[in-house]
Amino acid sequence: MKAESKVGILFVATVLAIIAFAIAVGVVNPFSNRSELHVMYNYAGGLDKGSPVRVMGIKVGRVKEITFAPNYRHNPTGEEVKLKVTIEVDKAAMDTIREDSQFFINMAGVIGEKYLEITPGSLERKPLPPNSYVRGEDPPRIDQLISQGYGLAGKLIELVNKNENSVNQIFKQIDTLLKNINKTLAHLDKMSEPNDIQRIIKNTAQVTEDLKFITQQIRSEKSQESFKLIHKLLFRLEDVDGKAIKKFFQEEGIKARIFN
Amino acid sequence: MMWQPFFTFFSFAKDCIADIFRPPFRTNLLFKEMELITYQSLPIVTLCLSFAATVTILESSFHMKMVIGDDALVPGFAAVLILREIGAIVTALLIVARAGAAMTAEIALKLITEQIDALKMIGIRPYQFLVAPKIVASSLGVAMLSMLVSIVALVVCGVASHIYLDLSPGLFLAAFHRFANFNDLFVSGFKGFIFGFTIPLICCFFGFQCRGGAEHVGKMTTRGVVMSSIVIIILDFLLSALISHLF
Repeated sequence: MKAESKVGILFVATVLAIIAFAIAVGVVNPFSNRSELHVMYNYAGGLDKGSPVRVMGIKVGRVKEITFAPNYRHNPTGEEVKLKVTIEVDKAAMDTIREDSQFFINMAGVIGEKYLEITPGSLERKPLPPNSYVRGEDPPRIDQLISQGYGLAGKLIELVNKNENSVNQIFKQIDTLLKNINKTLAHLDKMSEPNDIQRIIKNTAQVTEDLKFITQQIRSEKSQESFKLIHKLLFRLEDVDGKAIKKFFQEEGIKARIFN
Repeated sequence: MMWQPFFTFFSFAKDCIADIFRPPFRTNLLFKEMELITYQSLPIVTLCLSFAATVTILESSFHMKMVIGDDALVPGFAAVLILREIGAIVTALLIVARAGAAMTAEIALKLITEQIDALKMIGIRPYQFLVAPKIVASSLGVAMLSMLVSIVALVVCGVASHIYLDLSPGLFLAAFHRFANFNDLFVSGFKGFIFGFTIPLICCFFGFQCRGGAEHVGKMTTRGVVMSSIVIIILDFLLSALISHLF
């Protein structure tokens, strides 16, 4: 075999190996069955190109690209979002990603590997079409929390230092108040016998029952009729002379007392 | 003078590089050199790099288990290590031992047997005829060989992970996919190209420095191999620093 042929064979083998490597790494995928989605964030929290994308914990794709989008406004809120994370998702998983799906950035593994987790959407909502723009849930910024915590702690310390006397006084007053409450409770405990309390509770229950019975009676049809009759009677009596009524009641009352 | 050999070398390198672009281009010589560097060196380079890859897997697993108690991600960074580092440097060092030594010996022997003077007599530029094809063949050949053998070593890595670490091909690919980039393969190729460019320059330079008989040929061959190996290791450090800074 000629030297040219041998070198040629090796060259072809190298090109084939490079193509195989490109397919393995995912740069070239002739059998691609994936769709793209654009997830918008204001903070990517360490997410990187090539990071896995999971739906319900199952790996279904990867982060294809992370780019800055300085002029993007998210519809319909009009919120400014500056980072565009383009992800590739297997078409089989696309049906589970719906309009109400949420896109979180989570951390997994012993080395804190970041990944994009997608929650499945509800059946009532439509599946997201490929190349949609969706708003992701920004991960919490630990650095910001720590910074805010430091700020808050500083202000608290400053406040305490400035009003040291007042704070001491407040604590003393709280201490006194607690002592007084304890004393009151102790007195109450001494004053009340256990049987008395039980009796009071029983009586209260009885009174409640009676009140319930009376209310029911008042609301009954008979009572309602009686009320109506009284009302009519009073209405008729309005025209009668007050003096005559007084006399009638006084005389009739006296008679009734004498003869009954 | 201490710096004289360096000046001589740079002058030699400058003439050789200029001769690469000067016609006539002798493709038959180029392919002959490429065959020696790539085709004939392929079995030995593949064998050595496969064992180096297996050792990388085993050692990385041992260290990762010691540090974090888990070796599931070992194939991923072992693959990156092979692609960015071991593939190119092992290939280059083996090519130095195999082809570089032959280059120095060939030039030295031609020099002491006055064949180079004969070339000059018939109007052929010795650097253009002897060194330029070697530089081109070695640059392209080592780059090609580095990439090809690195990929073969990755396959060996997968098999070794399955046998020794009990990792399925799927887990191997997942770990590999997590860490390795397509650019890593070109890092291997780029390093291979630079190493391949350096090897014939140094080896042929020592060949042209031969004075005297057969004993001196052996001495120059040894010097050529040793110096090439040292330069390759230093260059590897510089290239790694540069590439890490860039990517």
